[in-house]
Amino acid sequence: MSQGAHIPHEDTGFVPERYVLAKFATSDALLEATRKIREAGQGELDTHTPYPVHGLEKALGLGRPLIPTIVLGGAIAGAFIAYSMIYFMNVLDWPINIGNRPPHSPPANIPITFELAVLLAGSSSFFGFFTLARLPKPYHPVFQSESFRQASVDGFFLSIKIREGESPDAAAALAEAEGATHVEIIEELER
Amino acid sequence: MSAAPSSANVSRDPLEPTVLIEGAQTDQSLNDSLLNHVWRGAGRGWWMLFGCALSALGLLLIGITYTLYKGIGAWGNNIPVGWAFGIINFVWWIGIGHAGTLISAILLLLQQKWRTSINRFAEAMTLFAVICALLFPLLHTGRPWFAAYWLMPYPSVQGIWPQFKSPLTWDVFAVSTYFTISLLFWYLGLVPDLASLRDSSKSRTKRIVYGIFALGWRGSGRHWSEYKWSYLLLAGLSTPLVLSVHTIVSFDFAVSVIPGWHTTIFPPYFVAGAVFSGFAMVATWMIPARQFLGLKHVVTIKHLENMCKVMLATGMMVTYGYIMEHFIAWYSGNPYEQGQFFKTRWHGPMQGIFLTMVFCNCVVPQIFWFKKARTHVGVIWFASILINVGMWCERFNIVVTSLHRDFLPSSWQNYAPTWVDISLFIGTIGLFSTLFLLFLKFVPAVAITEVKELRHEMEHEAHHASVGGGAGAHG
Repeated sequence: MSQGAHIPHEDTGFVPERYVLAKFATSDALLEATRKIREAGQGELDTHTPYPVHGLEKALGLGRPLIPTIVLGGAIAGAFIAYSMIYFMNVLDWPINIGNRPPHSPPANIPITFELAVLLAGSSSFFGFFTLARLPKPYHPVFQSESFRQASVDGFFLSIKIREGESPDAAAALAEAEGATHVEIIEELER
Repeated sequence: MSAAPSSANVSRDPLEPTVLIEGAQTDQSLNDSLLNHVWRGAGRGWWMLFGCALSALGLLLIGITYTLYKGIGAWGNNIPVGWAFGIINFVWWIGIGHAGTLISAILLLLQQKWRTSINRFAEAMTLFAVICALLFPLLHTGRPWFAAYWLMPYPSVQGIWPQFKSPLTWDVFAVSTYFTISLLFWYLGLVPDLASLRDSSKSRTKRIVYGIFALGWRGSGRHWSEYKWSYLLLAGLSTPLVLSVHTIVSFDFAVSVIPGWHTTIFPPYFVAGAVFSGFAMVATWMIPARQFLGLKHVVTIKHLENMCKVMLATGMMVTYGYIMEHFIAWYSGNPYEQGQFFKTRWHGPMQGIFLTMVFCNCVVPQIFWFKKARTHVGVIWFASILINVGMWCERFNIVVTSLHRDFLPSSWQNYAPTWVDISLFIGTIGLFSTLFLLFLKFVPAVAITEVKELRHEMEHEAHHASVGGGAGAHG
């Protein structure tokens, strides 16, 4: 890994990804630039902001978020698992006479059915998000930039992943033309 | 809408939102001021408090060790008072935790912007309070090393399953779900702040440690779009969850036949009481914390005032609950119910606890009708402590006072806690304080990302208001 890092295509066959990282002064400038650069069709875009900026999904051209569907699935699965578990344990496998109530008495099953629905829905929201986001991923090429430390503080960044074989110069020039205050080209060091 | 608010000397609109972030702040200045207490070394005050908390935690360890060595015979409860400190403290701690979820989830759904500065703080409180709460039923089983898994439905060689018609089994599911969801919600909200800790840290070690917990967060727009939904849905799920948890806790009592427990008002009245005591606990901790951690610009007097209003409202609901219990006891014509509410509670041996409860929960919050009291930190702090005392007395009344007068006078017994009971109770206060002080030292006490977003939103709104002032068409 260490010797092949800077020499693409040789020895290890490691092809470093290249990014153009552009910093913008305000979130509005970032929104505007993102929209225009996406329309110009330069590589894969992503933004990096300290908080969610309204309208970025649209500027990035993202589709409908998947989380709501995943959470609904989790909730249905949780409710189904809970009710069938209670039914199996207290009705089929080992019925116990509790105060002469019927083995299957639905009102008593509601609380746990609800709780497990919430548990699975909530867990699928959390773990579903991290799976979709492919996190944890401690290393990403954008972290190579020293100025990227501002992305979680007060910086508004746009990263453009350059397609293999293309030059990053065009994208860098475009970002500069769109009013980026700072543009740098990042070549991945290791993976 | 109709009047153009363009001229400079318009009289102040009473519905105009008040300042939630004081002073001219930028993202950078918020970042610095809210992280400052993490980077700054622990002061003498922190170490002193931490020392006290650790001593109380030591008491907890002694209490647990002695309980495990002797068995729960070391506790003061005995028939007919089969439940006492263990359950009182369990319900008290769970209730305290509920304010965290209320603030973070319900107020988020209601778009109450003032929640932003106190939600992280209150969520952490939820987690630690639930940990304290969970200790009690586990120890109460007498064999916690079995209880930890016997309560769960798993296929064992004994061939038996949990009995799902019992509210105690529901409780196991409710409280463990509550803890898990609260933890996930808290951590999800914390991830962007951990990234900002990672990126603002000066030393390599801190950068690596916070980097590990930040999970490689890079503020990606693709992530934010899913993240917002994930966070919102967790909030949406927590809202019915928090109501269900205390409802189920109240079922532990309401489903039984004991006079003083067997009432249908318990679920809503328990939930209101939980929010009441939880807000009081947030105030008790927030007032010194905003002072010493330098958070006064984001936790303004307006926040404290709003919390007082919530305490006033929930205090009145709790009072309504007390009145309704008495009314139903009278209206039912049941001599045991009437004896419990009109004789035992007011004139029995536990009279002092009952009257303390009435004073702290019904009378004290009335002071919040006055704006002077709602904006005086000393008054709020003192009142919040009284409310916590009152809510503990309420649980004592429900649990012990109801039990110590059995149906047959020959079974009547008095109750007194032993030193083990008291050590365990003080010990959990120590555990809570220890965890909380560690939280205040290592994690930002205020949700920085959300405060920045709020600042950004308010700036936008102010901008739009000044641009389209005459048009009056804004949403």
